[in-house]
Amino acid sequence: MGMSTKRTIGKIVYHVLVCGLGLVMIYPLVWMIMSSFKPTQTIFTTANQLIPSKFVLENYANGWKGFAKISFGIFFKNSLFISIIATMGTLISSALVAFGFSRCKFFGKRILFVAMLLSMMLPAQVLMIPQYLWYQKLGWVGSYKPLILPYFFAIQGFFVYQITNFIDGIPRELDEAAKIDGCSYYSIFFRIILPLTTPALITSTIFSFMWRWDDFLSALLYINESAKYPVSLALKLFCDPGSSSDYGAMFAMATISIMPAVIMFICLQKYLVEGISTSGLKG
Amino acid sequence: MKKKIALLMACAMTVASLAGCGGGSGSGTTNTTAAAGSETTAAANGETKAAAGGETSLVMYWWGNQVRNERTQAALDKYCELNPGISIDGQFAEWNDYWNKLATMAAGQAIPDVLQMDYMYVDQYAKSNLLVDLKPYIDNGTLDVSDISENTIASGTVDGGVYAIAAGINSPALLYNKTLLDANGITIKDNMTMDEFYALCKEIFEKTGVKTDIAYGIANSWSEYFMRSYDIVPFGDKCMNGTEADWIHFFEMYTKGLEEGWMLEPAVFAEITLGSVEQTPMVYNSTPATQSWCEFYNSNQLAAMQNAAPEGMEIGITTWPAPDPKKSGYLKSSQFFSVGVHTKNEEEAVKVLDFMINSSDANNILLGERGVPAPTDIAEEVAPQLSEIDQKVTAFINDVVTPNSSPINPPQPDGASEVYDLMNRTIEKVCYGQLDAAAAAAEFLAEANKIMAAK
Amino acid sequence: MKGKKNLTFKQFLCKESVAGVVFCSPFIIGFLMFMIVPMGISLYYSFCDYNILTPAVFSGAKNYIKMFTDDEVFWQTIGVTFYFALVSVPLRLIFALIVAMILLKTTKATGFYRAAYYLPSIIGGSVAVAVLWKRMWATDGVINTLLNAIGIETSFAWLGNTSTAIWVLIVLAVWQFGSSMLIFLSALKQIPASLYEAATVDGANKWQQFWKVTLPLLTPNIFFNLVMQMINGFLAFTQCFIITQGKPLNSTLFYTVYMYQQSFEFYNTGYGAALAWIMLAIIGLITLVLFATKKFWVYEGGF
Repeated sequence: MGMSTKRTIGKIVYHVLVCGLGLVMIYPLVWMIMSSFKPTQTIFTTANQLIPSKFVLENYANGWKGFAKISFGIFFKNSLFISIIATMGTLISSALVAFGFSRCKFFGKRILFVAMLLSMMLPAQVLMIPQYLWYQKLGWVGSYKPLILPYFFAIQGFFVYQITNFIDGIPRELDEAAKIDGCSYYSIFFRIILPLTTPALITSTIFSFMWRWDDFLSALLYINESAKYPVSLALKLFCDPGSSSDYGAMFAMATISIMPAVIMFICLQKYLVEGISTSGLKG
Repeated sequence: MKKKIALLMACAMTVASLAGCGGGSGSGTTNTTAAAGSETTAAANGETKAAAGGETSLVMYWWGNQVRNERTQAALDKYCELNPGISIDGQFAEWNDYWNKLATMAAGQAIPDVLQMDYMYVDQYAKSNLLVDLKPYIDNGTLDVSDISENTIASGTVDGGVYAIAAGINSPALLYNKTLLDANGITIKDNMTMDEFYALCKEIFEKTGVKTDIAYGIANSWSEYFMRSYDIVPFGDKCMNGTEADWIHFFEMYTKGLEEGWMLEPAVFAEITLGSVEQTPMVYNSTPATQSWCEFYNSNQLAAMQNAAPEGMEIGITTWPAPDPKKSGYLKSSQFFSVGVHTKNEEEAVKVLDFMINSSDANNILLGERGVPAPTDIAEEVAPQLSEIDQKVTAFINDVVTPNSSPINPPQPDGASEVYDLMNRTIEKVCYGQLDAAAAAAEFLAEANKIMAAK
Repeated sequence: MKGKKNLTFKQFLCKESVAGVVFCSPFIIGFLMFMIVPMGISLYYSFCDYNILTPAVFSGAKNYIKMFTDDEVFWQTIGVTFYFALVSVPLRLIFALIVAMILLKTTKATGFYRAAYYLPSIIGGSVAVAVLWKRMWATDGVINTLLNAIGIETSFAWLGNTSTAIWVLIVLAVWQFGSSMLIFLSALKQIPASLYEAATVDGANKWQQFWKVTLPLLTPNIFFNLVMQMINGFLAFTQCFIITQGKPLNSTLFYTVYMYQQSFEFYNTGYGAALAWIMLAIIGLITLVLFATKKFWVYEGGF
């Protein structure tokens, strides 16, 4: 009796605390969504007031209309295309490289690892011009190639390192057993390690998709035609410091634009819960 | 096993190459034949829809908001309709993005055919040989400037060449909270002197508690305007003009405001985005201590400011104050159109530019969104179609500014943006009480001369 | 070559050293194709007078000399950046770990909670965040209103004060802890339940379990997060760029934002490149130090 009351109280306290802090976390998002339903001129004058005194939908209509006859739907299509393909590339290539780093000894591994870390330490902005010149030489400017192809070559050290780290945590006894059974490194990777890496791959999917979705710098540099712009770039077009900006439309489209990432997160997070448990493997 | 790997890699590559070519036209057609960087221009510049039948295709690039994007694209479509065989791809970006991309394109020698230009950058771009000198086209009649005033042409002139044509005329303008002033029985007269302005700030502060924002953080053209009264053009050849004694006047304005209490405290500006019309203290803040009764902006921003103002606040327009308003006043181009030097069809690009500037067809679509059209006949034709506010702006420019204006200073040279940053930081130090006017002038001049000398 | 002695091609591929290279080949190719050239060009620019618009002119170590001898702002931004990184990164990691521990527990609402706590990272550096964050910390904003509500009378200008403005950015950085949290979460899930069972049998309470089981087994992930977040912290850009732009009085001017200003606003692009390479050296050194300490506290054994 006392035990169960204590437990119930504990549960309530837990949920109240988590909910309370959760509200602080999502307040800005709620604010943005609410603002997207306010008449655009009143967004700033009523910034301290969360609930709109009048709900309007015109921001969504205005925003969706897009720019110069290019509807926002097109920008969404472009963003989805770029983000999905680039994420696939990142996952495949990073997992392969990570396995190599984690499980194989070979000449030059240290140097490669250092190169990978170093490549993360230069600010993106300083590489803008050199990268542009290089892609221009390759004839890739004006296409999606610079936004997609490099990701098939594990150029984001973050993911390689993250997955390497994860594979390092998988007991080596599994490989050894498989090796005795005559498995090559390749089948060890595909049959044993890859399935066990799912949780890391899922977090990578979430990050990669989101980062590709948000990336506007490379889109700005390499995409010329307006109809090929991704959402990240198009969102900025609502603002013009020199004249009127349509914040209402921007918040409306920003609200829609975070939906894919949110939906994806909600769908994928349960796999983090159910992540392949290694509990039976050792102990 | 290796088959599996190979298969996987092959899959990856196929997907990747599909990706590269997908989502639209032509991206895959570029060959990697270019040997020297300078020859890759066309590739980068969007050989977009041109493929069929020897059609000429051009790219026009600009910054702006939804309305501008809409109207400019419509005007370009009109041009294509009137000139079969030509296609124009309109591309647009947000202001900061625009300049980053344009600079990157310049590095890659791939400046678009027709582009929007700004007074801040025209000198640098022209001197770096990135813009086409339009003078020959003016002489041979391809580009008609007969209805554009000489002052306006001069504002796009660098070292004797015409590199940019005004897309619209505006002027510096003091936008103020007319409702507030009316309620307190204060009337404003145009062409105020500084002393009249100070008295006004003081009066408003005493009556209402509302303070004043003197171009805090965005003092760029304000400093130029102010110094014109002392016959000083701030930027010389790799140095600054004017002595410390001259520049003290400029910084004294801020110390005076602080002493008398009518100037907004600098902390207020840390809470807004500087330069954004929607977030100026006049329309954004709600308590007198954080509000300003006026803002130093430009005439063509009146509509945007009125749009951003809370309900019931009417925005008025007058000239910026100056020690000597007659000397300071000028008309300027809100922005320019230029032709990029890497274009393959210079002549066609100039024709597009001429169309945007001079044709009724284009301007009846653009409707002075970039400022009052530069050619007088077009300005007259468009005037009746303008909104009430824009008509007010046109009247302001014609009746108030024009009679009191003299030619604008030459475009600012390389180094100006760094000097302006320094200036705004110096003003910040003054407002935080770290420097007095004399020390500010000395420090500013010394640093600014160093910056200019290094260019 | 392939069939050297009695080694078939297949056997050759299956050698550990060869397999390693094969697995790493995407990165090797990618690095050579997409990274090395741009990095090389930018290193070259750092030794040039370069303003983007006209071709670069070699000028020796001039940029580096200027940086160390004649640039007050450079030192200011170094100070700000170290302060920001060294404060925000540990805070962010601790917060991320605590929240990950809390959200590990599975209830019906867990999915929703996780989404809520991850959301700040999704909206990232959007304009909405920029506008709202400034609004919240304004003199008449939510923060001061809350303080007033609990009895602390204040109209303090958080953003307008040189010593507190940086904290507004630090709080923003800590608030966006989602990515570290996810990594902790997936790592926590990997810790075998059997270890906890064993600990319980040995009479360890929850607190002891955390220190004896959870934390040691998490050290590889803590290390990973620490290295990544340190790099991110020193390269932080967005918070400053969208919210303070360095104001007031450069007290929040991040190194990368200064570099960006030099490169793209003042067109001292060569100087900007030199700044970037000095930052690379700094981060490289810090990472090196972190790796050197690794053997003292990171558990390497797998589970």
